[in-house]
Amino acid sequence: MLRTTLIKALNAAKLSPKHVSVVSRASSDVAKKPEKIEVFIDDQPVLVEPGTTVLQAAALIGIEIPRFCYHERLAVAGNCRMCLVEVEKSPKPVAACAMPVMKGWRIKTESEMTKKAREGVMEFLLVNHPLDCPICDQGGECDLQDQSMAFGSDRSRFTDIDFSGKRAVEDKDIGPLIKTIMTRCIHCTRCIRFASEVAGVDDLGTTGRGSGMEIGTYVQKFFLSELSGNVIDLCPVGALTSKPYSFTARPWEIRKIDSIDVLDAIGSNIVVSTRTGEVMRILPRTNEEINEEWLSDKARFAYDGLKRQRLVTPMLRGSDGELTPVDWETALLSVGKVLRNAGSSVGAIAGGLADAEALVALKDLLNRLGSEDLCTEHTFPMDGSGSDLRSNYLLNNKIAGAEDADFVLLIGTNPRFEAPLLNSRLRKAYVHKELDVALVGPKVDLTYEYDHLGDDPNVISEIASGKHPIAKKLKAAKKPLIILGADILQRPDGGALLAAVQSLAASTTPSEGWKVFNILHKVASQVAALDIGYTPGVDKIRENSPKVLFLLGADEAAIDKSDLPEGCFVIYQGHHGDQGAVIADAILPGAAYTEKQATYVNTEGRAQQTLQAVSPPGQAREDWKIIRALSEVIRVPLPYDNLNEIRCRLHDVAPHLTRYGEAENANYFKQAEELAKTAKSSNLSGSPIDVKIKELKDFYMTDAISRASPTMAKCVQAVLKQKQSKY
Amino acid sequence: MAGTIVRITNAARNHYGFLAANCSNVQAALLSTLPPGTPPPQTKTTFGPLADEDRIFTNLYGKHDWRLKGALKRGDWYKTKEILVKGADWIINEVKTSGLRGRGGAGFPSGMKWSFMNKPGDGRPKYLVVNADEGEPGTCKDREIMRHDPHKLVEGCLIAGKAMGAKAAYIYIRGEFYNEASNMQVAIAEAYQAGLLGKNACGSGYDFDVYMHRGAGAYICGEETALIESLEGKQGKPRLKPPFPADVGVFGCPTTVTNVETVAVAPTICRRGGTWFASFGRTRNSGTKLFNISGHVNRPCTVEEEMSITFKELVERHAGGILGGWDNLLAIIPGGSSTPLIPKSVCEDVIMDFDGLVAAQTSLGTAAIIVMNKQTDIVKAIARLIMFYKHESCGQCTPCREGINWMNKIMYRFVDGNAKPEEIDMLWELSKQIEGHTICALGDGAAWPVQGLIRHFRPELEERMRKFHGQERSAAQC
Amino acid sequence: MARYLGIDKVFSVLNIIKENGGLRASLYKLYRMDELKLGTLVGTDKYGNKYYQNKRFFYGRNRWVEYAPQYYLDYDGSQVPAEWYGWLHYKTDLPPDQEPFRPKYKWMLDHVENPSGTPGQYMPYSTTTPKIEAWIPPKK
Repeated sequence: MLRTTLIKALNAAKLSPKHVSVVSRASSDVAKKPEKIEVFIDDQPVLVEPGTTVLQAAALIGIEIPRFCYHERLAVAGNCRMCLVEVEKSPKPVAACAMPVMKGWRIKTESEMTKKAREGVMEFLLVNHPLDCPICDQGGECDLQDQSMAFGSDRSRFTDIDFSGKRAVEDKDIGPLIKTIMTRCIHCTRCIRFASEVAGVDDLGTTGRGSGMEIGTYVQKFFLSELSGNVIDLCPVGALTSKPYSFTARPWEIRKIDSIDVLDAIGSNIVVSTRTGEVMRILPRTNEEINEEWLSDKARFAYDGLKRQRLVTPMLRGSDGELTPVDWETALLSVGKVLRNAGSSVGAIAGGLADAEALVALKDLLNRLGSEDLCTEHTFPMDGSGSDLRSNYLLNNKIAGAEDADFVLLIGTNPRFEAPLLNSRLRKAYVHKELDVALVGPKVDLTYEYDHLGDDPNVISEIASGKHPIAKKLKAAKKPLIILGADILQRPDGGALLAAVQSLAASTTPSEGWKVFNILHKVASQVAALDIGYTPGVDKIRENSPKVLFLLGADEAAIDKSDLPEGCFVIYQGHHGDQGAVIADAILPGAAYTEKQATYVNTEGRAQQTLQAVSPPGQAREDWKIIRALSEVIRVPLPYDNLNEIRCRLHDVAPHLTRYGEAENANYFKQAEELAKTAKSSNLSGSPIDVKIKELKDFYMTDAISRASPTMAKCVQAVLKQKQSKY
Repeated sequence: MAGTIVRITNAARNHYGFLAANCSNVQAALLSTLPPGTPPPQTKTTFGPLADEDRIFTNLYGKHDWRLKGALKRGDWYKTKEILVKGADWIINEVKTSGLRGRGGAGFPSGMKWSFMNKPGDGRPKYLVVNADEGEPGTCKDREIMRHDPHKLVEGCLIAGKAMGAKAAYIYIRGEFYNEASNMQVAIAEAYQAGLLGKNACGSGYDFDVYMHRGAGAYICGEETALIESLEGKQGKPRLKPPFPADVGVFGCPTTVTNVETVAVAPTICRRGGTWFASFGRTRNSGTKLFNISGHVNRPCTVEEEMSITFKELVERHAGGILGGWDNLLAIIPGGSSTPLIPKSVCEDVIMDFDGLVAAQTSLGTAAIIVMNKQTDIVKAIARLIMFYKHESCGQCTPCREGINWMNKIMYRFVDGNAKPEEIDMLWELSKQIEGHTICALGDGAAWPVQGLIRHFRPELEERMRKFHGQERSAAQC
Repeated sequence: MARYLGIDKVFSVLNIIKENGGLRASLYKLYRMDELKLGTLVGTDKYGNKYYQNKRFFYGRNRWVEYAPQYYLDYDGSQVPAEWYGWLHYKTDLPPDQEPFRPKYKWMLDHVENPSGTPGQYMPYSTTTPKIEAWIPPKK
């Protein structure tokens, strides 16, 4: 419904400003660009494309028109009427957010009529808005507050407060993340539009009409989506606020530090708000190439996991088999002794949250000890060119590129929960650009329709040979994408699968510069680790059975005691007491991503850095510094003493790791495909392709931080509760 | 709602520039060369009463058979095929010549409106939507047509549909009109069975379907875009314009929404000629019109009369005069509840047509006259109307949602006089803050009655306040 | 005569020294309390503090306490029990043991000295949850 009418409405609105002109759907991609038209805003001339709205035209010359319901990334609703402006020769003010400009219009954003209209609308909005700003969490960052200061009247004439008072609306329970105070709602419907357009969950809507209109979920149920937290940012007033953050801090007393989210491989840009050395909340930061201005719920709300189950002091396993806290000196000395005695029989496993600095420091240390057994927890096939060529393991076409695709084949991945913000891009393309999606793997809810091709891996070879009906679509597509989940490559036939998909990708005929083959990783450290030269997968450890095993935040239990030789000494360095710390003989407390300045590379190969928002708790220290100190103890000192020097080292290893913000393109697609053919096991097994995260309840707790988070646990509970409800 | 609001919005298109250019071009052209489709100049100076042979709705009172047989006897479906064969341009030309203006309230010239649709298509089907959601308090003209003369509407759909090149017509009928809906459905079925609709309608080679859709009883669904939303199965909330329905209407296709009466008179216009129709009423207000007279008159009625008849004659001739005599008249609401009232002094010589009522600072609307004599509590009457609008506001846009609710509260205080005289000015300003600031015209329709009241009955309001506060004071002294 | 020469002062000094138990004891007392006074012993409390009075001194200085020897230099005002505190501060004319109307109730607590700075002192504790909850390793 949304899909067809919206496109047509948009096309028509854009291309037929004249009543008479007719739009054909084909004309939307005609080459001829319509001429620019000139309009005057406050007597300043501005040239705009036809179809530009008054509000956009004003924004071009830096004139901001107040608005509540309008949002750049959502459909235009035009119902708050705050953006009314005067247009010369029009007797009525027009809604700037929805009205396309016409040639020669003279728009007056500061005229008496405009001001009166704004003041009137503001007065009406405040008639039923409670004056509870002092106890409202939105206070200080509230659009209604700001705009009533700027555009409202300086006095009230709401005499009816003495007679009938204001409207009151019952609050709704829509889940553990979003707190609703519905009396404050100004009915801008941003949340509804977000839910149905971006999140793809049509749960929110309005009931009742007139002054009795309410925003809600129609029936008593939770608003559960992996992107639900964004409605908190969207809400211009305090009707939807963050439940975990409620009544904890005020916007003017917190410090804001720009950082990067590491709970998935997307690398969403975030702002960490802190007060008195404590992370109070996490908000998204706009980055058009990655997360636009959205953020997944895990990234937004798992921060309370940073305050629980933390490793705050070094620990050693005593003779009684219990881990006991010790000071750093003791810990480093005894770990150093063990390492020295082990010689080159040392292995290391890096987990999903490890930063590039720690990865390179650990690799340097082990190499100096004579060991090459450095692995990542998440595997990747080493057949063919394996991880030697970057094109093999990157989301080559970039996250933003997903929007332009005309056909997407998903293999063994559930982007909705593995990378919610990639999925929102796919959904955007599906809704607005008629993208077709096909999926090989278990049937999951992606919030948009797709061709389910079954979960048999042999479908891939069928498509490649052209036997499968979908092959025609893939061949015909100008901008096809094949997105392969990194998870399924852990299968024994992962190498063959990778080779099959690569040859399938090579058989397409994309337009110039378009990259068909894409890998979607699940963890933030993987690309950096592979760039630095870690071996994917822990098989090497199992084979070589080292005397000492160094776990760098490895918490997925990829390896356990039974895989290791008797008497193997396990060192765990990380920030959470999770599955890794339990099996460790020595624990070195490290810093989490909000506590260090560190480099992460996301799934598209984009290096970004987190900044230190708070200091590591207790005696925990930054990871690379611990390794540097350890190297001193075992008398193989690493040659870097500060962040700059270790970043120089990173630059030596792989220069793109320090080019922050830029995604380094991979090359050698042809060669990778050729090499893939040489893979040893070229037979796909018949076992069905599976993904780990199938439903929303699997999404919330996937790593050490989110597993420690009470909020995420509540979310899982809510999902389970919702399942039992009759709606 | 069927009425005023729809047309008002259409008229509002002029504000958006591009149509204004269209209109003025057309008019400029009219003056210079008189192209086909110009109504002949009116030579009469007095209007009404309408002769019986000039009535279009000959079964308005249900005295005859409303089914196909009776309809055929009354001349419906006569030479419909010939009309269709003459083609869309001919029909539009006749309608233009007749000077027919939309009967829903805003009075947009129908010929011009239909011609917007009659242009080369882009592959999307076009639709005619008939707005039979007659919810405006006081208005009861469309239901009479649908109840007693449904074939006029069915035939009108076919002809109007042909004029626009529409694929199908949807009749969106108000949910409360149960009998009307069943009569309509029977008439449509009869027309299908007689081969008048469907494939090769009337043997003209033109395929046309008519569907009926029953609403769920919301006044706002009479607004054309809300009606479209409702027809699509969504909440009946008006859409933003542009894009106008003629570009993006029902199911994303070009659509024209017209009133029942407009469509129903089209066949007769085509049969008897546009000039015949244009011979009634003043220039630019031509034709006959169904007037509903309700309230404090001796015989409330719905009657077809010539446009431009004076109010006094209309009410004396057809409604048997005001209860208690002409001097007992207090005020009338001339065009359905959303138009501003006019007091007796204005009623004396007001002419019942579009221009005549605009001159009296009100509007013809749906020509549903609500007569109030001196036994009326005028403030309470208007307060009740505002309560209706408050209840029927869709709640989408701020001024209407919050403003009408507020106006309602104030109005009910005014009924008792529990207010200060300054609040009258505030209420006036509030109504001005609502008017013209909303997506659809419901806000305007709610603001106008209040404005009419303040304009003509301000002393009454002030008197009540004085009385109320006087009582309060004496109560305090006791 | 002696008065004119100030010799009586010498005598009174000698008398004070004598009354205080000789030169050695007097020097010790002077070291401990920075003061050497002559007065009549009015009473002794349960700690062994001795209370003296000498009307020769002006009001405000004519009643004083000599803390029990076990306190050495660690004496402070809280070691004076409440009833003797009253006497010292002229709330009563008679010393507590001679006061006939002094009430004695069951609920009256025994006097204890202020334990600040000692292991017995009151330690306030935080009632808020810690900002960071540390991981506690599972016991085998």
